[in-house]
Amino acid sequence: MSELTLVVLQLGFLILLWVFIFAIVYALRSDLFGQRVRKLQPEAAGAPAAASSFPSSPVAAAAPTAPVSTPVAPAGADEIASSSNASRLVITSGAKSGVEFPLGRDEITIGRSSDSAIIIRDDYTSTHHARLMLWNDRWMIQDLDSTNGTLLNGSRVTVPTPIPLGATVKVGATTFELRR
Amino acid sequence: MTDESARSRSASNGAVTTAGDGGTPARPATPPSGIRRIRMPQKLRNLEFWLLIVACVINAAAIVLVQLGALGRVDTQLVLLGAGLSVLVFGLHISMRFVARDADPFLLPIATVLNGLGIAMIYRIDIAEGDAGWDSAAVRQIAWSAIAIICAIATIFVIRNHRVLFRYTYLAGLVAIILLILPLVPGLGQSRGGAQVWIGFGDIATFQPGEIAKIALAVFFAGYLVRNRDSLSMVGRKFLGMRFPRGRDLGPLLIVWALSMSVIVFQRDLGTALLYFGLFLVMLYVATSRLSWVVLGLSLFLAGAIIASQTLDYVGNRFANWLTPFSDERFNADPGGSYQLVQGLFGLANGGLIGTGWGQGRPDLTPVPQSDYIIASLGEELGLAGIFAILALYLLFVARGFRIGFAGQDDFGKLLGVGLAFVVALQVFIVVGGVTRVIPLTGLTTPFLAAGGSSLVANWIIVALLLRLSDTVRNHPRLVIDG
Repeated sequence: MSELTLVVLQLGFLILLWVFIFAIVYALRSDLFGQRVRKLQPEAAGAPAAASSFPSSPVAAAAPTAPVSTPVAPAGADEIASSSNASRLVITSGAKSGVEFPLGRDEITIGRSSDSAIIIRDDYTSTHHARLMLWNDRWMIQDLDSTNGTLLNGSRVTVPTPIPLGATVKVGATTFELRR
Repeated sequence: MTDESARSRSASNGAVTTAGDGGTPARPATPPSGIRRIRMPQKLRNLEFWLLIVACVINAAAIVLVQLGALGRVDTQLVLLGAGLSVLVFGLHISMRFVARDADPFLLPIATVLNGLGIAMIYRIDIAEGDAGWDSAAVRQIAWSAIAIICAIATIFVIRNHRVLFRYTYLAGLVAIILLILPLVPGLGQSRGGAQVWIGFGDIATFQPGEIAKIALAVFFAGYLVRNRDSLSMVGRKFLGMRFPRGRDLGPLLIVWALSMSVIVFQRDLGTALLYFGLFLVMLYVATSRLSWVVLGLSLFLAGAIIASQTLDYVGNRFANWLTPFSDERFNADPGGSYQLVQGLFGLANGGLIGTGWGQGRPDLTPVPQSDYIIASLGEELGLAGIFAILALYLLFVARGFRIGFAGQDDFGKLLGVGLAFVVALQVFIVVGGVTRVIPLTGLTTPFLAAGGSSLVANWIIVALLLRLSDTVRNHPRLVIDG
């Protein structure tokens, strides 16, 4: 066997090794880099964005904030959802409106990834969007640095926040709440 | 999460199923609401199948190239032995089609390639040293790989849900301690290269129990931290912008620290000590998300290592070799000189960018080129391109492990996944860092690559546990909302 053939074969081996690596990277590209997420249009993104998008008219700016802040506190909704008083998560809008998801003690991940507990396959949801977890027996919502953010009663969640019973949580274009 | 509690309120949405799930008639337990188990076994397992075929082609090509480079001809015997390994790997793949259908499809091919590259390099060094038959380390490595993969298959079959391990937290801790003490038992323990970490009777069937201990420790740490993390993470005093734990909560950290220090002193094994302590620190950090634990732990370990380097000869030698390997005094010192380290560095340098090619370098000039120094041997023959490919494979492997931990729904599974992945990462760092003179050289095996049965068995069990974890993670009741 000539030396040249051997060199070519050795180089071929290295190339094969790298092809294998890039095949794996290609197969898990959506895991590594996330899927493309469309930005929500300001009108659809909820109150804070809507309010800031009409700065020219003070009336328009004031108007959208009012109706949003009112449903924030329906009567008796101040009670924080805990493992003892909340038993289910109810989807309140979108394609699956009305469907319930039982709350156990496990963390619930929300996102487009098929690993999530609640998988929302729309263009506005990030691969790993948010998660619900029990801290000291209270249900907390944490945003996982998603593109469109997670809204709790219309305000964007920046740090893990306790969820009141019946409060509206919005992930992408889907809303849900925790109920007894 | 029980299926009974999965209720649907409105009838209109009661039987919503989504398109594109492969249409598998899932288990009858699936509630008819909208919550279901996603089943795409064919997709994941078929991907794994194709990647495995590429992996086996790579392994066969490596052995053939070694023979062409070193012998100039193709000898079918070892190729056939290697093919036996491929059969076993496919056996694991097929058993996963039955008992772990949703497991991660990348772990098995990556581990297969690493194992195969190791066998090829060990075989290449056998040729250089003229070993054949049962003397040949490569043949023994193939036999051990077979045992290891059978252990992995058994693990997948026996442990059907990782939460079973949570029940045996303290038993795992006890097993780890016993495994650590075993090499010190007179008559059973054996000393090699100064380190007292082997057990065995005479020369047959020697085993390094510390390798298995790292799995038991990962299970123990995960279970212990899930039970006790509140007291470790909630209270404490703020200082320098970090919340430091109370004095009385330092107990576990100090115990693990004392354990690693006693490994350094009694077993004379720096790398193992660093591995166990690093594992505990990272799992503690992941469980409590407080940096102060890492700061405290690292300063404790550094203090211990500096004291050890002053008082223990072998540790002092390691540090001196690390700092000044090319000095005449260190190079010629025997025992404990830097001869091996320097030879390894020259080997890596000889390899250059694309290496000398399989079978055409001189990796056998370095002492123990097939176990501790297999990275230097591979670096010489495959070059920077090959070493980076190997490191990329480790990176992908560890990233998959972290990913499994991240996706886990229960805290124990999360911690266990992160712990098992991290132990592989840390071990690679300690070995490759030691060989390339980033940190002082310590004798640890390179996962999957290095010659050594116990290491192979332990790492294949880690693969099996990660596969099991990833299967349980995906096999969870889910709600799917299609926009």
